[in-house]
Amino acid sequence: MKNLLIKTHELWLETLMAGFMSRTDSRQKLYDFSNIIFRHFTWIERGMINSGESYDYDRDSIPIKVENLNSILININTRMSELDLQLVACPDKSLAQRISSDIKYMQKVISGMKDEPVTSFDTSRKLDGISLTPEATDALTLFLFEESYKEYELILIYNYLQAHSDDAFINRIYQIMIDESNFHLRSFGQMMSEMGILGVPRVIHRSLYQVESVEQFLRDGIDEEIAAKEMCKELSDAVVKDSKELAHFFDFINFQEDYHITLMREALEHYEKAKLDG
Amino acid sequence: MTEVDAELIEHMSNPKNYGTIDGADAIGIGENPENGEKVIIHLRVTEQDGESFIDDIKFQAMGCMTTVVAGSVITQEAKGITFSIGEQLIAVTLSMLENVPSEEAACSEMVALSLKAAMDTYTHKQSDPDFGTVTYKIENSCVVEPSVENREQK
Repeated sequence: MKNLLIKTHELWLETLMAGFMSRTDSRQKLYDFSNIIFRHFTWIERGMINSGESYDYDRDSIPIKVENLNSILININTRMSELDLQLVACPDKSLAQRISSDIKYMQKVISGMKDEPVTSFDTSRKLDGISLTPEATDALTLFLFEESYKEYELILIYNYLQAHSDDAFINRIYQIMIDESNFHLRSFGQMMSEMGILGVPRVIHRSLYQVESVEQFLRDGIDEEIAAKEMCKELSDAVVKDSKELAHFFDFINFQEDYHITLMREALEHYEKAKLDG
Repeated sequence: MTEVDAELIEHMSNPKNYGTIDGADAIGIGENPENGEKVIIHLRVTEQDGESFIDDIKFQAMGCMTTVVAGSVITQEAKGITFSIGEQLIAVTLSMLENVPSEEAACSEMVALSLKAAMDTYTHKQSDPDFGTVTYKIENSCVVEPSVENREQK
């Protein structure tokens, strides 16, 4: 099961990256598939928790540098076939059958996708129709690398916490945070791809999600969200002269952080109250 | 503001030597006590002609992208060198940071100290195989003090 979890994790990321690379209708399909694969990931994880099997979110590096979409689609197809074969290790046969059925459908659709050139690694650092100053381009580049990793990290942390909680109130908050981080990761990943600087987020260290104190994680998280708001504001100010549209996007992300802070405070209060109630 | 060039992009999108070494000969940790950020270095060491060589090196960063870039650069420099040259690399890195603002120096200091911690762990393990992992804490602060203007506004 452990290997199945790792391979599903890698497939989820590779499919998401392929979605960032595409500039055609294939993009949305690849996003949908990456969502499906992420759900497989959570189901496999749930099975491991139920059977008491230890696990983590370690994985291998995922090579994604390609010049055309077909190359990565072939890799994804191969990964899917390998994953399908590994489903024999899944003791939950109905889950294995469900995943296998999804894989076969996705392989069929992916095989029919049209090839397209990929410019996600050309380091042009230009966005369509927007001309930024070199300083603003550098600021945006640094922001995207920092924050795309951060969103990936948050998805996995909230997912891990959710997987280990049976509290419906808390899990509703975690699910919203996962969905929001997914949205942010997609937005940033698409921009990185357009700027030719796409990269797979690095593997996250297990101490980040196997947290000793959820309350402390939430307190630190609130501070980080406040810092992220400031970063978004600085970036908005840096790009506003060149692109009001881009500035509005970062203002939007900035104000979304308020929402995240509110949710994290709610979660923190809930944990503290539960502690007081014994 | 950091100037971004192709080399920096390469280190950010594809950090060199990122990860762990199964059955590493030594592990060392550099830590920022202020915020808990960490760099963990794994070493595979070979002995040759009475010298210890860093045969392989990997790092993991629980920190910002600047730390990842510093880890990528310093581990590339450290791969294949002897411990005595490694000590020089650490000393040169730390001395270069003396004139750098504290919040910018903190990340590189953390990587340099994690390398030193890993080498020291290895040295201790030669006489005590059960020796644990050395952790060094950085002196630079990565917290940016509010500017005079900001303080006045407060």
